[in-house]
This record gives sequence, structure tokens and C-alpha cells, in this order.
Amino acid sequence: MLKVRSIVLLPRRWKSGAKKRWNVLQNKKNNCDRAMDNFDDFYGSVYGSRWKNMRAALLTRHKYVAMVNNFGDTEQTCSMLETDGAINMKSLINLAQDRLKDSTETVPEQGKSRHEIEGKLDALFRKQQEREVASIYPSSGEDGSSNSLPQQLKFDNTEEKHPAEEEFNNPFKQSLTKALEEDVKLDEHRLVDPQFGTGGLYEYMPAHSIKGMEDWVAESEHYKYYQTSADFPLTIEPEASFHYPEHLSLYTYEMGNCSDFKGPKKCLTGVLSHFMMDGASTLPPLFLQVKPGERVLDACASPGGKSLLMLQTLHLDRLVCNDIQESRLNKLRKVMQEYLFDFKERWASKRLIFNQSDARNLDQYEQFDKILVDVPCTTDRHVLNEQDNNIFKPTRIKERLRIPELQAGILANCLRLLRPGGSLVYSTCSLSPIQNDGVVHMALQKVFTEYGITATIKDLSQHTALFSDVFKFEHPKGLKYGQMVVPYLPANFGPMYFSKITRNV
Amino acid sequence: MLRKLLFNTQVVLKQQPKLHHIRHLASPKILQLEQVHIDEAIKIEPTLSIFSPEIWRRAHETFQNHGLETVNFLRIVTGNPAVLKRTPDKIINSLEIWRACQFGENLLHLLLTKYPELLDISDSHQLLSQIGFIKSRVSTSKNVWKLLMNSPDLIAQPEETVEEKLNFIIDVMRVEVPELAKSAALSLPFSELRCRHEFLVRLGLFKPRPLKADPNEPTTNHKLYQITDTSEKSFATKICHVTLPEYEAFKELYAKELERKTRKAKEEEDSSDED
Repeated sequence: MLKVRSIVLLPRRWKSGAKKRWNVLQNKKNNCDRAMDNFDDFYGSVYGSRWKNMRAALLTRHKYVAMVNNFGDTEQTCSMLETDGAINMKSLINLAQDRLKDSTETVPEQGKSRHEIEGKLDALFRKQQEREVASIYPSSGEDGSSNSLPQQLKFDNTEEKHPAEEEFNNPFKQSLTKALEEDVKLDEHRLVDPQFGTGGLYEYMPAHSIKGMEDWVAESEHYKYYQTSADFPLTIEPEASFHYPEHLSLYTYEMGNCSDFKGPKKCLTGVLSHFMMDGASTLPPLFLQVKPGERVLDACASPGGKSLLMLQTLHLDRLVCNDIQESRLNKLRKVMQEYLFDFKERWASKRLIFNQSDARNLDQYEQFDKILVDVPCTTDRHVLNEQDNNIFKPTRIKERLRIPELQAGILANCLRLLRPGGSLVYSTCSLSPIQNDGVVHMALQKVFTEYGITATIKDLSQHTALFSDVFKFEHPKGLKYGQMVVPYLPANFGPMYFSKITRNV
Repeated sequence: MLRKLLFNTQVVLKQQPKLHHIRHLASPKILQLEQVHIDEAIKIEPTLSIFSPEIWRRAHETFQNHGLETVNFLRIVTGNPAVLKRTPDKIINSLEIWRACQFGENLLHLLLTKYPELLDISDSHQLLSQIGFIKSRVSTSKNVWKLLMNSPDLIAQPEETVEEKLNFIIDVMRVEVPELAKSAALSLPFSELRCRHEFLVRLGLFKPRPLKADPNEPTTNHKLYQITDTSEKSFATKICHVTLPEYEAFKELYAKELERKTRKAKEEEDSSDED
């Protein structure tokens, strides 16, 4: 049966296939490297010498906690995890509570030294701007034609409109000849000598944008989002109480223990026994403090860990899971199907509602008691370790620099969705103060100026102290509106920033 | 006084023979082996007491004939008492084996005085091929000698492990031979070396030099001997400026990461074999 015809010869190119020349290898810079450079620059100046510890932790594999599925063989799973040496977070918290009762150590109040971070960011912004200006006008110092660099870069999008208007009023040719006659200060180098033909003059058009740089966005734009002037009423008060949900069992290993959990197994009810998630991701839903009978929205739900945790507290009556893409919602559906018993009959579209839309466009105003706003961010750990779907891809630069705008938009809209007196938790998995405190500030400002909504920031630092055996927290002094878990090698969770905001009645 | 002269470790650690000479010019040279010397040596190494003066005299003569001074002889026997058991022929044999490595008399004596155990080597063929291999990588005999002064266990390590480490240090860490020769990096197990390097890289404290960078240009990288010749604790706290628990956690996590990587590569290999 073997015919000569059926043998297909695939010519293989050897020469250009795998380039191994040193300059090719060296100059290759992938998305992760780009992210690393950016972080080294940015976080290095924000966090100082602590950045290197976070850097090493971010580049190393993160630690999980296991959330026991209450819809499966709960007791068996718990005892399995316990025999492996894991500890129930609830008992750790009870211990910490007892300890804290005895000691009357006062936690420093939030945001006392934030002017430090403001100064740092301001310096960073100026440095970046100077660098960008210098890269665009590299030779201006040498020929001495312009002694002072322009203070700020102007972007072609805004600039282009002006010449267009002028063109409409007086035809182009005319204005040029007029300019040639009147403007004596013209650059001698750029004059076209008539002896070589005046034809060139008519083809001359002054440059209005730089070829290849049309889409160029200055990195320094990003740093502008961190504003500090508060021109809206804002109160920060300590959160009154914290209750750990009775039915929730989270298992973790103690600090310094890097063991892995066993993979989830199928239980008798057909669901999986436990869910593994980054430990820091458990904190935003825990601090949201969902109580029985409340209507809850998870504004950016996928991949579903945080939603699932809220469902595992068994407090929820209705949860609306929103996400922007159908594909992300499908991921979420799959997780819920795997972990919720009788998903189709009892949960889907009854107690658990999936909704696909941009969180900025949701319009069920004043409907929800609690909202979890886990916004899209630079996902610091992901961008350093994965090439796919990396926001530091050069073509996504505009998207990346405008992330704070998107985040603030989502947060502002979610504040409007909140019933007066209801509260939300804003969380990101980024270390950037711009995406964290900066965005909270922007959103609060926006809802106040546009809709007259005022809010209260809940200071959680008293309660995060309960978790200090498990997580490493950023000192609350350096943060304005929230708390943050920082990556730390023996407890390699996070980064995770979260801020609890209550809408004033 | 004698003890001071004999066991002043500083003299041994000073790798420069010149300094060594100067010290000797200053103090009177001991040429004869006297009973006082033997007594002192026995005090330090009691197992030496079983040998008769005749054996002492014979061994001393053998060493002296081969250019080793009495002080060095005493250091060697206290460091490696088994030498005295051997017949002069055997001693001469092992000295000859080492002489064939062509480090030069002076340097060789320094090496043997520092590590008297090296005289136990009897397989000249194996030693020479090992030395030849190292020399092919570090280019001069002097460098080989420096390496041996820092990590004498080098001659006992299989060629593949040494090669693995050398490749890593030169190609990945981009450390040059002169710096390598000043460190005991090659005594470290490969996994430990790689772990320390990777930790520094992830901390952002070590950036391998670009291939075409000017070697005279100063770097902010730590010197190789600082990285490798330190205890785990001082490496973590003094060099990396992190706490020991952090480094320990990293070691564990990194070992797991590598294990996962090899397992993954193996699985891919298996699946491609099936295709």
C-alpha cells in the first residue's frame, strides 16, 4: 500500500531556524522582562530596599490555601488536610484573637506617612517625564538651537486637530509662502535653496507627527493618576467588628512551610473536595462580611475563587456574578459546576445569576448590599511569570497605561450600585500605589463631584492583625485607604490590596 | 615560640610565596629536627607518639631531600600522621606524582603543607588527567593551583560535576577565571551554587555581565567568593540582606520548581515518543 506518492517530504530550513547568535539572544526582550524592568523602576523607588524581597517572592511560585467544599464530603476532606499537616485558619484566628485581647498594643493609624509615598511618586513621575522628553529630543542640547526642553510632551491626538482647523481657513500653500516672507527666524538648515528648483517647496509639509510614533504613549502619563488633593468629604473610621464565617474552612500551612496540597478529589455528591486559591484572595471576600439574606454582586467574578468563597459561607441568598467576556463567564460557570451540588437545578439562574457586561455599564443602581470589586489590574505575579495574555505586551501599552482609569470607572459605578449604607471591597493584585490608593481616591472624587455620593473608608488594620500569622502585611502607615498583603518568601501570598468602602446613608 | 611559628595559620593562608619568604628571613630557619619539635608536634597530634625517633628522622630526611623545610614537614605530619607510617619510597612516589603536575616547587610545597591529605593520592594517571582537564578550562597551571588551594576536593570530584559547575560559573554567571580562582565555588555542590545564584538574580542583586562588556568596567555584582565561601546564614543576611527564613523558603521552593520542570520535560519527551 505504501506508494511513493504518499511520502511527503518536508524541507527543513536549518540555517535560520534557531538563532543562537549572542546578539540575537541578548537583545531579545520578552513581555516578562519588560514588566520586570518597569517594576524595578517603579516599585524600586516606592518600596526602596524592601522591593528586592518582594521581587524574589514574586518570581517564585506562590502559596495556596485550600478551601474545603461544603457541598462535598466536608469532614473527610478536613481530616485529610489535617493529616497532611495543614492548619484550619479559623483556629489560627481564634488564637490571635485571644493574644490580641491580652496585649493592648495600638496599631498605628492609617495613612500617617502617606506624604512619603506622594513625594516618591512625584519624583518618579518627573524622572520618567524627563527621560521621555530626552529620548524624543536627544540632540537639542548639542546644536544649541533650543536651550530649554519642552516641559511636557504633547500627544498627537490632541495636537492634530489644530492644524486641521487652520488649514480650513487659509489654504496651505498660501500660509507657507506667507510664512517664508514674514518669518525671519526660520531655521537656515531647512531652507530650500531656489537655485535647486522651487518645486520642492510646494511639496514641503511641516511635520506634525513622528512616523512610527503615532501610537506612542508616554509612560509618565500613568503616574499622573495618583493625586492627593482631597476636595471631597471623606471619613476614615476603624471597622467595628470582624466575624469569621462559621461554616467556612480554609486550610493553610504555617509560615515557612512550603508544602503542597493534594489535588482535589471527587466526592460522593459528584463535586470536588476542595478548591485551591492564592491565600491572599480569601481576604477581600472575608472582609466583605456577607450576612444572611443580603444581595451580593461580584463585579469582576472570573475565575470564581472569591465568589465561591462567599458561597461557601452559606450565608448567601443571591449572588450576581458579572464579568466582561463570555469566555471568562464560561470559566466561572465551569468552576461553579464543579463545586456546587445540583448546580443546574438549584443554583443556576435562581440563587446564582450570571451577567455579562462591562462593570462600568451596570445600571441596577442602589440595589446591592455588598459588592466585591476585584478589578482587572496589572496582575503583578502573572505578568512576571507568564508570556501569554501579558499586559506588558508592547501593543497593549495604551490599555496598560489607562488601567487606573478603567479601575476607577468600575469602582465609581459600583459605588452607585450600592444601596446607601451598603459596603464594598475594592481589591487588586498589584503593588502599584496608583492602582490601589490612587484609584480609590479618583473614584471617590468622581462619585462625589458627579453624583454627590459620599463614602466612608473602613480601616481594617485592627482586623488584619488577626491574620498576621499567615500573611505578611504592608505596614498600614504607608497606605492611605486600604490594606495590602505583600509577597514574602516564607508566606508567598499576594500581592493583594483591598479597601473596604461604605456608602454613607 | 615554636608553636607560633609552626602553626601560624596566617602563613599558610597567605597564598603569596613572597610574603612567606620574608617571614622566614625574619625568623631563624629551622634546619635540624630536634626532640623539642617532636614533642611539640606530639602535643598537637597525640597519635604521633607511637613513632620511634628513627622513623621521625628518616621521614624528615626524605622530605628535606625533596626541598621541604622542617617547618613544613612538621605541619604535614601533624596534619596527616599516616605519612610517617610510609616508607621513604612511598613518600617520594607521592611527591613525584604531585611534582608531575608542574605547579613549581614552591607552590607545590605550599599546597601540600596546607592540605597534607593530598599526599594520600596514589593514582597518578587519574590525578594527571583531572589536573589536565581543569587546566584546559582555566588555562594556566597557576590557576589550577589557586583553585586547589581553595577547594582541594576538586581532584576527587568526577569530571562531569566539575564541568557542570565550570560551565555554569563561566557561561551563566559570566564570572571570569581570575575571580573563579579566588573562590571556593567548586567545592560547593552544583545545586547549591545554582540556588544561590538564582536567589541573587531574583532579588535583582546580580546581573550577569553582557558578553561584550568591558571587563574593566566595575560591576555591582557580589564577588564570587562572597557568594560561595559564606555560610548559609551570612550569605542570606550579609550578601542578600534578607532573613534566613526567607532564604530557606526559597531553597525549598526552588528545588520544587526545578523538580516540576524536569518532570514536565520528561512527560513531554514521553508523549513525543509515543507520537
